[in-house]
Amino acid sequence: MYLYSLTLQQSTGILCAINGSFSGGKSQEIAVARGKVLELLRPDDNGKLQSLLSVEIFGAIRSLAQFRLTGAQKDYLVVGSDSGRIVILEYNKEKNTLDKVHQETFGKSGCRRIVPGQYLAIDPKGRAVMIGACEKQKLVYVLNRDTAARLTISSPLEAHKSHTIVYSICGVDCGFDNPIFAAIELDYSEADQDPTGQAASEAQKHLTFYELDLGLNHVSRKWSEQVDNGANMLVTVPGGGDGPSGVLVCAENFVIYKNQGHPDVRAVIPRREDLPAERGVLIVSAAMHKQKSMFFFLLQTEYGDIFKVTLDHDNDRVKELKIKYFDTIPVSSSLCVLKSGFLFAASEFGNHSLYQFQAIGDDPDVEASSATLMETEEGFQPVFFQPRKLKNLVRIDQIESLMPIMDMKVSNLFEEETPQIFSLCGRGPRSSLRILRPGLAISEMAVSQLPGVPSAVWTVKKNANDEFDAYIVVSFANATLVLSIGETVEEVSDSGFLDTTPSLAVSLIGDDSLMQVHPGGIRHIREDGRINEWRTPGKRTIVKVGSNRNQVVIALSGGELIYFEVDMTGQLMELAKHEMSGDIACLDIAPVPEGRQRSRFLAVGSYDNTIRILSLDPDDTMDILSLQSVSSPPESLLFLEVQASLGGEDGADHPANLFLNAGLQNGVLYRTVVDMVTGTLSDARSRFLGLRAPKLFSIVVRGRQAMLCLSSRPWLGYIHQGHFLLTPLSYETLEYAASFSSDQCAEGVVAVAGDALRVFTIERLGESFNETAIPLRYTPRKFVVHPKRKLLLMIESDQGAFTAEEREAAKKESFEAAGMGENGNADQMENGDDEENNNPLTDEQYGYPKAESGRWVSCIRVLDPRTTQTTCLLELQDNEAAFSMCTVNFHDKEYGTLLAVGTAKGLQFWPKRSFEAGYIHIYRFKEDGKVLELLHKTQVEGVPLALAQFQGRLLAGIGPVLRLYDLGKRRLLRKCENKLFPNSITSIQTYRDRIYVGDMQESFHYCKYRRDENQLYIFADDTVPRWLTAAQHVDFDTMAGADKFGNVYFVRLPQDVSDEIEEDPTGGKIKWEQGKLNGAPNKVEEIVQFHVGDVVTCLQKASLIPGGGECLIYGTTMGSLGAFLPFTSRDDVDFFSHLEMHLRQEYPPLCGRDHMAYRSSYFPVKDVIDGDLCEQFPTLPMDMQRKIADELDRTPGEIMKKLEEIRNKII
Amino acid sequence: MSVYGGDSWAREAQHRKRKVDDLMIEGVDSSIYKKLSSGNFACLVCPTNPVLDSPTMLSTHVSGSRHQAAELRRKNRDLAKQEEVKKRLALSDCVTAKAPANTAAKQLKSTSEPLIEQARKAVLDVISGKVALPEVKPTAANLGRPCVGDNGSNAEPVGVEAKLKGVVREVQPLNYRLHQERELKFTAAGWKRDCHGRWFKDENVEFDSDEEDPNIVLNEST
Repeated sequence: MYLYSLTLQQSTGILCAINGSFSGGKSQEIAVARGKVLELLRPDDNGKLQSLLSVEIFGAIRSLAQFRLTGAQKDYLVVGSDSGRIVILEYNKEKNTLDKVHQETFGKSGCRRIVPGQYLAIDPKGRAVMIGACEKQKLVYVLNRDTAARLTISSPLEAHKSHTIVYSICGVDCGFDNPIFAAIELDYSEADQDPTGQAASEAQKHLTFYELDLGLNHVSRKWSEQVDNGANMLVTVPGGGDGPSGVLVCAENFVIYKNQGHPDVRAVIPRREDLPAERGVLIVSAAMHKQKSMFFFLLQTEYGDIFKVTLDHDNDRVKELKIKYFDTIPVSSSLCVLKSGFLFAASEFGNHSLYQFQAIGDDPDVEASSATLMETEEGFQPVFFQPRKLKNLVRIDQIESLMPIMDMKVSNLFEEETPQIFSLCGRGPRSSLRILRPGLAISEMAVSQLPGVPSAVWTVKKNANDEFDAYIVVSFANATLVLSIGETVEEVSDSGFLDTTPSLAVSLIGDDSLMQVHPGGIRHIREDGRINEWRTPGKRTIVKVGSNRNQVVIALSGGELIYFEVDMTGQLMELAKHEMSGDIACLDIAPVPEGRQRSRFLAVGSYDNTIRILSLDPDDTMDILSLQSVSSPPESLLFLEVQASLGGEDGADHPANLFLNAGLQNGVLYRTVVDMVTGTLSDARSRFLGLRAPKLFSIVVRGRQAMLCLSSRPWLGYIHQGHFLLTPLSYETLEYAASFSSDQCAEGVVAVAGDALRVFTIERLGESFNETAIPLRYTPRKFVVHPKRKLLLMIESDQGAFTAEEREAAKKESFEAAGMGENGNADQMENGDDEENNNPLTDEQYGYPKAESGRWVSCIRVLDPRTTQTTCLLELQDNEAAFSMCTVNFHDKEYGTLLAVGTAKGLQFWPKRSFEAGYIHIYRFKEDGKVLELLHKTQVEGVPLALAQFQGRLLAGIGPVLRLYDLGKRRLLRKCENKLFPNSITSIQTYRDRIYVGDMQESFHYCKYRRDENQLYIFADDTVPRWLTAAQHVDFDTMAGADKFGNVYFVRLPQDVSDEIEEDPTGGKIKWEQGKLNGAPNKVEEIVQFHVGDVVTCLQKASLIPGGGECLIYGTTMGSLGAFLPFTSRDDVDFFSHLEMHLRQEYPPLCGRDHMAYRSSYFPVKDVIDGDLCEQFPTLPMDMQRKIADELDRTPGEIMKKLEEIRNKII
Repeated sequence: MSVYGGDSWAREAQHRKRKVDDLMIEGVDSSIYKKLSSGNFACLVCPTNPVLDSPTMLSTHVSGSRHQAAELRRKNRDLAKQEEVKKRLALSDCVTAKAPANTAAKQLKSTSEPLIEQARKAVLDVISGKVALPEVKPTAANLGRPCVGDNGSNAEPVGVEAKLKGVVREVQPLNYRLHQERELKFTAAGWKRDCHGRWFKDENVEFDSDEEDPNIVLNEST
């Protein structure tokens, strides 16, 4: 079996983000690391975040930093990754690529504790960079310019100290003195030697300054001082005239200003009033904002509260450190303050947000200061505050994030054309169920009813230079309606259009006149209001029209073509006639090329299943240039011109191209390349779009021409980051559409469907899914689909939180307390508290109040996905949490389908895994499955982590025991068990009489249940100790699994072994066969092996397109979705493996990780071709594309066609 | 080779080598050699079982004359064995099956796994009701209620049914299957049998308070 791996949705979580001016000049970009993807984001003028570029680097990005050489206008990007190399990248604005400026190897690859890459620190003046490991090693590289002003990098200088653990590093701003780097370090050498543990408990963290002596080219430890043991992060303080220099040490409960030769300035971090006393407050992310006259820091705590930290200083002396409550937003992994007044918060879990500053926290608020810090006998006096609504920030945009995907199922519950992906995402209060549908999201701007059922719609400008459209023209069966676009859209009658007849086409012709084609003739409306009318000869009517700005071709009934052109005076002149052999099905004229008078090509589709290209040149008018036969009569034709590009904002290097698209009556979109000179057609591709013949329309997307195809659902063909993408839109069936541009909506689409006129815009280009999110209460763990009722049953649980009732009670109490405060002291509570009382703070933003870590809350939910309503929610009591579930239908028992839920009471992971009890609850469904009722609950001796139905009974994995239960009156009845599993059973899948058991640490075990003996036998297991995170049954002998190191693998029982086991009529063999070393007698073979680079949490076999082959879909913790498609032909395997090989050689990954080494990080990659690498082919420079194509004996076009084809097989 | 140095070329080379190895082996029938844990290959055909170091050597060995001769010998032996199996199978079919019309067709299929094929056939026959099983019935009944006197009970239900429906032969095989299915249900539910054929509860299995007792149920039913 050979598989093609393709990422369907890139990681949506963000691990770290930095901002800088990577394109140079004033504009600022945000560089985000999404695990293995590096992406550049920029907020556009409307405050929407746009993705400029996203590159898969085939490695793990661990840290990012940006620096700027003194006097330069542009920032460079430094990447610390698992490649054992430091990489400096430069953003190339013209080509829209990241160019590798330097790549220096310093150590082994992989994420190791001793190999640098985990931490990056930059000298604020851009003279040096420090790259550190978690332990021991730190390297400093000197950055400089050569005579041609190119960036140079020195050989590394070592700043190693063995037996130390590093927590954080940062550069110290000391102006143009020697660069200094600060690090929080912990020396464990004594603790390592001391077996009593006393040294370990006394170990002390230190803040160490390392100085890079530029003269001596040497790094030395300059200064070291004790810091709090809770110190976890360092923040650079501006220096060299801008500020006092030094660092802020963020520690548990404190922020401390430190510098060499300066006394500590310490202030306490304010705490929430409802925080339990034993919990500290830690800073998790920080951002510094510097202006000419001032600077401040924004620090975010682990609870999401942002504090503004200011330093009151007198030159180098810091007098006071103030920490003022700023706002509360969801906990972020990185904060970026942009110069344009935006704050980008890359959320730890859930959607990322872009905020705009309303104020910078100058208003009075709760503040802690070093000057008022009180030390009592019990320690420092804490400062309390109460979170409030956003005051200084306002959210203006958000980017969706699925991180982490906890569980996922692909199912067509809504009975749509394509199945939906149901995924459980997020954590705690930000968790959600997201329903993903393949396709682009649209936002509907307006819907208005029309007096009849319209057949077509157009928009026209009054002048070719106008920015916005002037009229919307709607055609009905026997009338035409003209609407003028202004502040409002209203009907007009003075436009000059004939309104008593239906229209066939309406467009701007020449520079400033309008044309209406109706069955009886052509009406030409000049700018000054003069109207010229051309009438059809005899009783013939016009049936089809094709036009561009200067040319019009009409087709009369019977198959005659008449060609008109706009002459110098703006008149429409009849130039040629041509009789075709039969009726004409459709027409289109190519757009007028830049700098030309007319276009040369006319495409004519006929009912004899052909498309002809006719010439419109004066010397060979109406000559047939080429002819193409197609599978079915064409219904609609569209020329799409792709301008030549050398990369730039949104495209790759490619020459100008003209494409002819045809929508055929059998629902296929047929696309060919038209030779710009000869008009010959080549490189045909076809794709099935839907059950209706696609109608094609040209619209504008991001300033470029794009194509809208209306079949049984709408599709958009557009170019995104150099790729031509054809994606469905998540919208209903449309009849006719036109592009729409007005004041309110610059790039929209107006369409008719039924008797309504709809105006909408297309959002988030480049994404392959659009989502509907339904918020959940706690971290979702698992879900199942009720087989008959199509309801989702899910379990949610959280550790260290309060139950809903307790939270409600506490909230009420605190509001009451706040109310009393208001009565007593009106000044402090100035903004309307009544309003706050009415809508209490959302948990989604503020998080849940924290409880002790031993407390669990959990609930079981029944959710109807169609109405998105929760029909039943059972909160578990007594510190119980649900871990597994399944639906089960006990044979010859009266209840029908039941729900089994495995729970644990008082589960603790630290200091040792322990629990009070485990249970299996059995619920029955009532009221059409909408409500659950507890039937009974059975105590078991372990935590049931896996449940499954098997032959009308319940199989449960309870710790290392696999047990078969039957339903009893008061409890479950144990019928059979096998205790020979090594660790803990986490997944159970069944097929016929085989049971495929996944162990937490030891991969799969194949079992068989023998009814005649009532015994469970393990007959095969895996040789590799895999830490299983997801499992999926593929076929009778094959299982697919994913381990926690980010590998996906398939195991298969060899055919002869499988046969032997199946043909064991006496049953003696399976009973007496013994394995070696306590293993099973037979071993499964690994047939597929691939490193995804992200922890796969769920696997499912499904097909995402109607009638497509099945593939294996996976979801990961970083919020990405991918698929493995089995190849069906040996030729394809050969082709793609060669393409992959060439790409590996010619186009090594950006951050220096060897592609093959990456995909083989844990086990050598086997029989999987990396589609993500193959899909980088179109982004290669043209000559390299040609070179690779030559070696494969193909053309670049053919390769791209292959890539497109295989992608279309998956989605 | 990687432009940026490092060790990547070695990996590529190794990959290529593995590819070549795979290709070398592809042509060789996997049943004639065995891959050893050391990575060497043992030829299973030659009587001396020579151990070969690499796939290339294996493929050379396979095309060698000595191996070819050994293979031919083995083939002959296999053929003879198969003949023997066929013969025996045909004999056994004659004894058990009463419909010898399609035995020839079945034999063709059943050459590889005679036992399982035979079992399948037997099951098929039982299900399709081809076998009336007059001789099996008393034994099954014996198994079901060994403690009850043989003569009376054996005749009685048949007599009752005969009176009720008048057709005994057609009901009988189904009854037998039902009976077996019930027995299986009881074993699956955790009942076991002692050496007298009496049912008892497995001590490791839990039972409902009103669980049916097979000693009673099975007796009543027959």
